[in-house]
Amino acid sequence: MRYVKWTFRLLVAIIVFSFLHYTLPQRDIVRIVNTYEERQDLNDWTRLFWSVPDDQSGTLSNRDVQFIQAVKSNGKTMVYRNEDTGWGWPPYFKFDTANLYTEANDAKSTKDAPEWYAITHYGWRNEFLSIFPNAVGLRPVDSPDARLVPWTNIIILGGLALFILFLWRLWAQFRERTIDPLLEDAEDTWDAVDERASKARGRFRGWLDSWRGKPRK
Amino acid sequence: MIALIRLGFFGLIALTVLYFLVSWYSRSVRREKLEGWADEKIAEGALEPAARDTYIEEGMRDYDVSLRKKLILGVYVVPIIAVTVLIYMTNFM
Repeated sequence: MRYVKWTFRLLVAIIVFSFLHYTLPQRDIVRIVNTYEERQDLNDWTRLFWSVPDDQSGTLSNRDVQFIQAVKSNGKTMVYRNEDTGWGWPPYFKFDTANLYTEANDAKSTKDAPEWYAITHYGWRNEFLSIFPNAVGLRPVDSPDARLVPWTNIIILGGLALFILFLWRLWAQFRERTIDPLLEDAEDTWDAVDERASKARGRFRGWLDSWRGKPRK
Repeated sequence: MIALIRLGFFGLIALTVLYFLVSWYSRSVRREKLEGWADEKIAEGALEPAARDTYIEEGMRDYDVSLRKKLILGVYVVPIIAVTVLIYMTNFM
């Protein structure tokens, strides 16, 4: 039973962590190499890793998606998709896909004269599922090892921690002020019932005893 | 357009639930504090034990017209401002 409990807890922790890791913004420092647009098939379950940039795109089985190709300072490659999130999930409210595409094209640089950019994105790259992180912003940085403070994540995770603290306080307050008094009431009622029952039992026994010629107490 | 309406609709529901939770919590904490203050006053002899309930009810009436209670409406205002700032930051900065 203990193993079941811990497995369950571990599973919940993994799901919560994965969800946050997928959804929260991350930044890579990269050199932008190229951009391209490719038709994507969207009619299997990996659909959930692609955006729904507008209302009709939810029902399309394929459409063109923009991509940004980049190389990190360690030589590893990274490919980002460039899609509107619109008003949907995750709540980045990105509507400037075409602008970002232009910026990315403007930011291209060669290996010999590299220009480094911090590219903000969310999501995962997975070669087997053919999924790509979605780029949401681009800004130049001085060097490939520029220090970036993740303020957005600090604010979001801080807010989340405060919210959980609030829910916990709320539950504690609810229990203290509403459930506990009810339980006390119930306990009092139960005690009263119990007492009445034992009194009645006493009377019944007395009546039985009276048949055996014992005096009533 | 439908996506915006959907966001507004479910956002409003979620924020309304949050509003009621926060205001229940705030009222409950206020009442608990008033009970504590009343008991202190009774211990000091500044309040008759019989006036305890009146003292608490009066305190709750004051709370109902207080700024603190109106501040809970920030539950609606803050996310709307946050979304506006976010839209600006993502698309125009």
